[in-house]
Amino acid sequence: MVRLITHNLLACHVKGCTSNNFPLQFKDVQIELREAEFNPDFLRNFMPRIEWKALVDAARQLGDTSLPEEQPEMVDDEFLQKLHHVLLEVHVEEGAMVCPNCNHSYPISNGIPNMLLAEHEIG
Amino acid sequence: MLYLLVFAQAHADFRIPELQSVSELYGFHIGLLENADPSRPFMVVELEEEMYARLLARRCILVKAVCEFYARGATYDEVHERNRACRSQWERYVPDTSFKFVVSAYNHSIPQRRQRDVVESFSYMDFLGKIDMKSPEITMVVHEEYDDKHGTTREKHEGDGAFREVFFGRLIEEGSARPLMKKFDVKKRVFYGNTSMEAEISLLMANQTLASPGKLIYDPFVGTGSMTYTTAHFGAMVFGSDIDGRQMRGREKRPGIIRAAAQYGVDQRIVDLCTFDVTRNPWRCGGLFDAIITDPPYGVRAGAKRLGRKNRRAKDEDESRSRPFQPSERPDDQPYIPPTRPYELSALASDLVLLARYMLKPGGRLVFFLPTVTEEYAELDLQTFLCEGMEVVANSLQDFGSWGRRLITIRKATTQQFPPPAFDPDKNVLSESDLTHVPAHKDFRQKYFEGFKKGKLGD
Repeated sequence: MVRLITHNLLACHVKGCTSNNFPLQFKDVQIELREAEFNPDFLRNFMPRIEWKALVDAARQLGDTSLPEEQPEMVDDEFLQKLHHVLLEVHVEEGAMVCPNCNHSYPISNGIPNMLLAEHEIG
Repeated sequence: MLYLLVFAQAHADFRIPELQSVSELYGFHIGLLENADPSRPFMVVELEEEMYARLLARRCILVKAVCEFYARGATYDEVHERNRACRSQWERYVPDTSFKFVVSAYNHSIPQRRQRDVVESFSYMDFLGKIDMKSPEITMVVHEEYDDKHGTTREKHEGDGAFREVFFGRLIEEGSARPLMKKFDVKKRVFYGNTSMEAEISLLMANQTLASPGKLIYDPFVGTGSMTYTTAHFGAMVFGSDIDGRQMRGREKRPGIIRAAAQYGVDQRIVDLCTFDVTRNPWRCGGLFDAIITDPPYGVRAGAKRLGRKNRRAKDEDESRSRPFQPSERPDDQPYIPPTRPYELSALASDLVLLARYMLKPGGRLVFFLPTVTEEYAELDLQTFLCEGMEVVANSLQDFGSWGRRLITIRKATTQQFPPPAFDPDKNVLSESDLTHVPAHKDFRQKYFEGFKKGKLGD
């Protein structure tokens, strides 16, 4: 699956890779859109945790330009619907997430990202 | 107002924590009486409104029924005397309400003839409505509680009437959460493993997390996902991670956890599943989750593993350290599998509490199982993994004889921010020399396979 909500929470965690290690860049992705139940409470609770620019950029990389550049102060239902779609309905099924700093590639297979590190990366 | 709760005959130690969690979830107060004894199947509690009793019936896995409480007593004379005294509570049903009486017993079966006598003895209530055995407007219930006669040979009705106490009230609602045990039955699930948690306990755990719509919950040792289904059922969004991706995937292309979640209609509430070692986790920040729910592997059926090598010194001498790993060194069809090492349980427990303090929102809960050796367990064991800002809410034992497992519920009782845990593989392992108290769960795996013989450890 790797939804954009997850992508927004994962940073590269290779030992020593502590700056410019977020957001990870999608590579060679296969996307599926799947409808999810709309839950405004969940979205409101989660909003303070979002790194907005990372979310907007990731959405655009995947071809969705519905979100505004800046996180709006006024949260209306129309905005929540867009946010819901971007956060929860876009699924990256295959491909990889690549660290912009150290280039570590985290492969995604059948919707499950492999975030395991190799032996030399954990120190 | 007083209400009578009728419990299912299971997990007595989990009853009060569940009541308290559900009342906290819905924001009402539940008053326990001074003599409340959770080992007994009937409990009288204080609630402000009947609606709260209904909420308990709809959410508590261990509640079979809730009743408006009228009277209790060691004899029927006492019950009738007290029932007459609270006439104002049932007076409104006298003129024209259809009704029935149900007389039942715990640990006993009452002969039909005496059941009739018992019903007759309440005739002073003078209910004028018609008796309707099929769909009455109200059901009056009489529960006789007998001591456990398990293991003794006796006639079917022997000891009839020699009850410990009788309870009398009006049925408000039968428990509707308990049938969820059938729905989540592991055997009927499309995907499960040999370490899948049984349905009843998964549901009890979900209640301890206060799972509800709008919440985000995380299982860092998700395995085959047993607790994701029940927490998602109660409306929460759930993340899972595991060091072993095969556990989450199963054999088919579509991950097993997603397939099973779809069976329950909650696949969209499984936010994502990720493969990683929680001691080397990629979470960008803390304060993300409303609850962490997990059954850590404790080494009996599945061993706890973390990244790294068993013998770290050997690794320093290992050439691979100076020569970085090259993906080209392995064939493409063989995914790289990093080495893992065992994760000792007492280290895992204290790491888990530190992780929860970092990853939970203030007020969030950590709910997990801790296996322990019955004879060696002491209250103090919990102190060995608690840290500043984290407090124990509940600690319920599921007893298997020489060992047991404790469902521990811990609340993040601070708004202060703490750094992520170091997960130092060397420093964190408790050694007996730097601890004044050694918890009974330390080296549990070793103790289990040694059959819990005393004094065996350290030989």
